[in-house]
Amino acid sequence: MFELIINAALFIFLGITFFTHVLEAPVPIKVQKNPYALQPDMWPKAIIILLLVCIAVNIYKIIKKNKGKENFTLKAFFATVPGFFKSKMFLGMLILVVVSFILEPLGFMVTCILLLFFYGLLLGERKILRLALCSVAIALVLYIVFSGLLSVSLPRGTVPFLRSFALFLESLI
Amino acid sequence: MSTWELLASGFSVVFQPTMFLMVVLAIVLGTIFGALPGVSATMAVALGLTFTYTMEPIPAIVFLVAIYCSSITGGSITAILFKIPGVPSSAPTTFDGYPMAQKGQAGKALGVALFCSAVGGLFSALCMFLLSRPLTNAALAFGPSDLFAVTFMGLSILTCLDSDHVLTTIISGLLGLLLACIGQDKMYAVQRLTFGSRQLLAGVEMIPVLIGLFAVTEVLKQTNKKDFLNPEDGIGGGKVNTKMPNLKEMWSLKWVMLRCSIVGTIVGILPGAGATIASFLCYTMENKISRHPERFGTGIIEGVAASETANNAATGGAMVPLLSLGIPGGNAAAVMMSALVLKGVQLGPLLLVNQPTYLSATFASMIVANILMVIVAIGIAKIFAQILSVPYAYLGPIILMLALIGSYANQLSMADVQIMVIAGVVGLIVKACHFNSAAMVLGLVLGSMCEANFSRAYTMCRGSFATMFFRPIAGPIMIFCIIMLVTPILMPAIRKRKAAKKAA
Repeated sequence: MFELIINAALFIFLGITFFTHVLEAPVPIKVQKNPYALQPDMWPKAIIILLLVCIAVNIYKIIKKNKGKENFTLKAFFATVPGFFKSKMFLGMLILVVVSFILEPLGFMVTCILLLFFYGLLLGERKILRLALCSVAIALVLYIVFSGLLSVSLPRGTVPFLRSFALFLESLI
Repeated sequence: MSTWELLASGFSVVFQPTMFLMVVLAIVLGTIFGALPGVSATMAVALGLTFTYTMEPIPAIVFLVAIYCSSITGGSITAILFKIPGVPSSAPTTFDGYPMAQKGQAGKALGVALFCSAVGGLFSALCMFLLSRPLTNAALAFGPSDLFAVTFMGLSILTCLDSDHVLTTIISGLLGLLLACIGQDKMYAVQRLTFGSRQLLAGVEMIPVLIGLFAVTEVLKQTNKKDFLNPEDGIGGGKVNTKMPNLKEMWSLKWVMLRCSIVGTIVGILPGAGATIASFLCYTMENKISRHPERFGTGIIEGVAASETANNAATGGAMVPLLSLGIPGGNAAAVMMSALVLKGVQLGPLLLVNQPTYLSATFASMIVANILMVIVAIGIAKIFAQILSVPYAYLGPIILMLALIGSYANQLSMADVQIMVIAGVVGLIVKACHFNSAAMVLGLVLGSMCEANFSRAYTMCRGSFATMFFRPIAGPIMIFCIIMLVTPILMPAIRKRKAAKKAA
């Protein structure tokens, strides 16, 4: 059912996109008047049409393949949703989303330590002290390798004391 | 530039002290990445990208090529010692490598795997060096419609990527092509498909998408598993019998190595068909040719040699279309291509004409990597029994951090980190719906090139499709593409009809 929902959503999204967002700025008049120029919307529109056809066939195939199956109902699908939200995979996604937003304000070091620690916990590590020490050590090693040796500018953070700490670390390297 | 001058220039790049150290680092990293289960060769190259941001384009490709070659070899270590293929292309190595290890011949299996990997890699490097320039010279005569046909050929193998899910693979490829349209159009700078986002004006960055699809998705998938790395019983405690094979045994493999080197290189050249197809194909081929096919799978050196020669031979093959035509021969080559594009390198037939050092440096890097990796891999194999005992609770987050650094350092952009996370989640949906990440990447990588060439050809041929494709080069290539596209779609129906006839 999940496959069907995704395909249907994609179909609707592409249908709307076809009419509303393929071109978002006016085409230069010189290009418009040139009968031999490939208009900027032609290529994406052709791809969307092909996609719509293929997705429609795919939806038909999914329905044909699963018709009559017990778990091929919306009710059965929604019954699995709470399980997904309790799964480790969802928590992993959540950690990554949070990390992508805290990286800028907290900076690389703190974000790295937090990611290593919490993802480690999620993956089943129960020795908290060892995990915490390893997280700090790995974050330091990564910081030294990339910032120090490879001159990659890693985010220092926007929180004042964390930024000062990052600058202090850089001065040491 | 003569061939000798070209060779000298390539080796002079690789043997610069700093560059040589970087190549050694790349080999160590590549072998370790390759040996880690769940880290494919493509992912290894994608993670290696982070190290190349501050490099010039030529050192960057030298570094990435060394990672690529050694990661394919690294995959054999865990395949033999733990029956866990480090990279998918090492899967056939487990068929005979692990039974050999169980018989106490782990050292022999490793020795055969490493030596054959080196032979396959060196052979394909030589083929790449000899074939790339003639192919480039031929490609210089190509017009926009021919170039479109060649790029389309890269896309036409979409249907061969997953023969069980042809339709969803095509959808994935088309989605990749559509993703490549986002942002300002390359010809007339008209804004398309951005949905009002300023961050999408410059288009979808390839590197965060690649890292997300290949690295983040894999770690997220592993997060739900109960047993992460589960070595089979039989070898453990960090003790590996490292007795190497003798010269007589190696000599007995000469024909296996030659056959698999040739087939592996050819498979590598074909766009989309990479090291995994090469190793499975050669293993099956050797099984069919052998006088004792029943011995395959019981732990014989021929099985290990076939798989490992072929997958390394595919590495050089994959570089041929990338360097000479600017189309990637596989996923790892696509990542390398995006690294070069990021550095402003104009890929295509003119690359080797204007800057032949790209070819010679890549060749020199492959030669050095294939020789050095044997020594490095033996060392790593000895300590790998211990490395694998590192829990995934540590390895997984480290991979995520490397992915995060790789995405951020690309343009020092937080938006790229968010794109990487989105791509990671999309990768899971792609898997769940039987779509194909590799096809999507292929579409994304080739999309803008395909559109630009089509647009130029359309204008030059005054909008006539007949003039565009009734050409001596474009015509046959397009026919070939159509056959490639249609065959996997029609084959199941033909097979079904044949089976029905037989039954009747």
